[in-house]
Amino acid sequence: MSGEQVHGDEGIVVPGWGSVEFGRRLGLKAIGATALAGGVASLAKAAAAGAASKSNVIKIGYVTPKTGALADFAGPDSYVISLVKASGAFHKGMKIGGKTYKFEITVKDSQSNPSVASQVTTQLIQSTGVDIVVTSSAPETTIPVSAVCEQAGIPCVSTVCPWEAWWTGVNPSNSIGATGNAVGTSPTYCTMFFFGIPEFVGTFMPMWLKIQKRLNASNVYAAMFPNDADGNAFAAAWPPTLNAISGAEGHGQWVEVFGGAYTDGTTDYTSMIQTFKAGANGKPCDFYVNAPLPPDFNTFWKQANQQGFKPKLATVAKVMLFPTDVYALGSLSNNIATDAWWTPNSPYKSSLTGMTAEKFAARYQQVTKTQWVQSMGSTYSLFEIVIEALKKVKNPHDRKAVAHALREVNYVGMCGPLNFSAKTAPAKGIGIIKPVGIQWKPGSTKLVGGKKWPWSPYVVDNSLNPHIPLQASLEPTNP
Amino acid sequence: MTWTNVIVQGVLFGGFYALFACGLSLLFGVMRIINLAHGDIAVVAGYTAVFLVPHLHIAEVWGFIVVVPIFALVGYVLQRTVLQAALDRSPFTTLLVTFGLSVLIENLLLEIYTANGQSVNIGSLIGNSWQVNSTIYVSWFELVVLIVAVAVLGILQLYLSKTSTGRLIRAVSDDREAAQICGANYRHIFGIAAAIAVATVALAGISYGILTELTPTTGGSQVLLYAFEAVVIGGIGSLWGTLIGGILLGVAQQVGAHYNPAYQVLAGHVLFLAILALRPQGLFGKKEALT
Repeated sequence: MSGEQVHGDEGIVVPGWGSVEFGRRLGLKAIGATALAGGVASLAKAAAAGAASKSNVIKIGYVTPKTGALADFAGPDSYVISLVKASGAFHKGMKIGGKTYKFEITVKDSQSNPSVASQVTTQLIQSTGVDIVVTSSAPETTIPVSAVCEQAGIPCVSTVCPWEAWWTGVNPSNSIGATGNAVGTSPTYCTMFFFGIPEFVGTFMPMWLKIQKRLNASNVYAAMFPNDADGNAFAAAWPPTLNAISGAEGHGQWVEVFGGAYTDGTTDYTSMIQTFKAGANGKPCDFYVNAPLPPDFNTFWKQANQQGFKPKLATVAKVMLFPTDVYALGSLSNNIATDAWWTPNSPYKSSLTGMTAEKFAARYQQVTKTQWVQSMGSTYSLFEIVIEALKKVKNPHDRKAVAHALREVNYVGMCGPLNFSAKTAPAKGIGIIKPVGIQWKPGSTKLVGGKKWPWSPYVVDNSLNPHIPLQASLEPTNP
Repeated sequence: MTWTNVIVQGVLFGGFYALFACGLSLLFGVMRIINLAHGDIAVVAGYTAVFLVPHLHIAEVWGFIVVVPIFALVGYVLQRTVLQAALDRSPFTTLLVTFGLSVLIENLLLEIYTANGQSVNIGSLIGNSWQVNSTIYVSWFELVVLIVAVAVLGILQLYLSKTSTGRLIRAVSDDREAAQICGANYRHIFGIAAAIAVATVALAGISYGILTELTPTTGGSQVLLYAFEAVVIGGIGSLWGTLIGGILLGVAQQVGAHYNPAYQVLAGHVLFLAILALRPQGLFGKKEALT
């Protein structure tokens, strides 16, 4: 349908090998908006002027989709920032090179729109005169923000964006190699942490294997990838990555039944469901993977139920990350699995205050009266990383030094161990966090804060990150 | 057998488009108002079902009993105030006014309820279906929507042709001045027509909320277009035509999807364009309706 669709950009978007074009498009848009706002040269000038200032205030700009389709991600922003501001370094100031600096955090709304994201970043740099930009939530936000920062020479940290999309989006000459490796050069000023396609496989495949063994399920899976940037990228990247990792670990090969590149906003999926029900090689589709828009998954899943397509395990990407989708789907949400990059039961603590993940989430629920969401952990870590980098510099207004320190960050914080220059990282300046598999089940008072919600995510698979304890056993979505 | 299923599913879903198009067809047929806020009113009805009904201690599946009368009233008031004022100026003003209404509704919803998707939850009922044979499953919910669509359009057709109010509506729609001379209070008549139209839109909006997720902009971006297509295919001014138009749109989409899901939406648009090119008055429309 039309490009005005609100949900068009929702969810974490998971482009992979095939995402170069998508990234380029966003990157170019960002550049276009920058040019509109006064030209790259003036931006660089503004940045230089900032660098020369001897101010004892460090200004941090935070670009986030507070409104629009991605607003779910930004739900915990105010809470996170209030905690950050109350922490030692931010509250009392931080001693750098013999001088005490105070902090100022300016929040800008990207409205879930890439063009607005680059415009507000330009404003942050030119008008507010920020020293560092942090940004979160989906390629639609992080890529344009990073692209503007890279041109203006402002250090930037981003998160909640598959690194493949970010890598090719920030620098259009970067690409993803045949084995899913990063080809090209790291940005000078921009860094990011999150995960990519191999981690999706690493989270979903162990769950498939468990169910396959327990229920003697087939090796056939149904794949529902729409005809949009993320869907096409996933359609291209998922099968080879899955079979490569499966083969390397000594498991069998998987057979895909592709539902077809449907249009976003489709309201009837009976034809695709027939394809899935037919299976392949005489075997049924016992597994299901997708990367759709939330309303489309909602429609599909209801119709799959009506039409009798009941895969033994559904592992979904991009949807069911937040309670909103789950409550909209109601009881049909039971035992749908997805990924979580942060959970309250992880053994991690704030590197700023030592607050535990559990307390961090419990207090959020107390203060806001809403259920915790996984983006709170990643947003918090953005500010931890800034402090970690500033610990290593002599002058916080020295952009190059701060950017260099960001790429060397190696610490343990709210999202666990993060190393931006690890040998295993796809490229320098990219930190990889390890997600776990979660399933939505009816809530319990045993969960975080003793608060029972109608639905809660339970950690059911920790193959990628054994530090995070399991909370429930993996159950088939449809027994 | 595969083709039978394609047709069955197309017809089932077509009922849904027909239900959506009913209000649009009526408003245009009677008052020559192209209601660009049509889809948004449907979404508001869905939101009302989501947020009001749980407070009333009735099962959500019966929410329409409360919501539909409310929206009939809303329709009447809307017509007697905003729409009539616009209509008194010129037909083009109504286009602008309903467009403005659409923008207003979308942003109010966004402001009050955020961009989160909302669904009317009818519990496990949504998953129920009737298995005809090994390949054909008929969703109860979609079957109910189809039956409702046929019933609503049929009753409306009867109402317009058999009752005195219905005849008044048609009289005012055919020649307002002449009807006024005969003593018809056309504003009140228009109000009744709008009440009926908006009530059917509410019914469609609730069904849509049951079927999928509603967001503040669903109405403008998705619903409105399909409703328009159903009306145009069936022919402007013909309620039975709207029913057939909706069903043909559903079947065309299913046939497209049968070849490749990428063609599903496209096939519906192609049918719409073909009708526009070959029979601009629509399948059951009168030629003079175009002038």
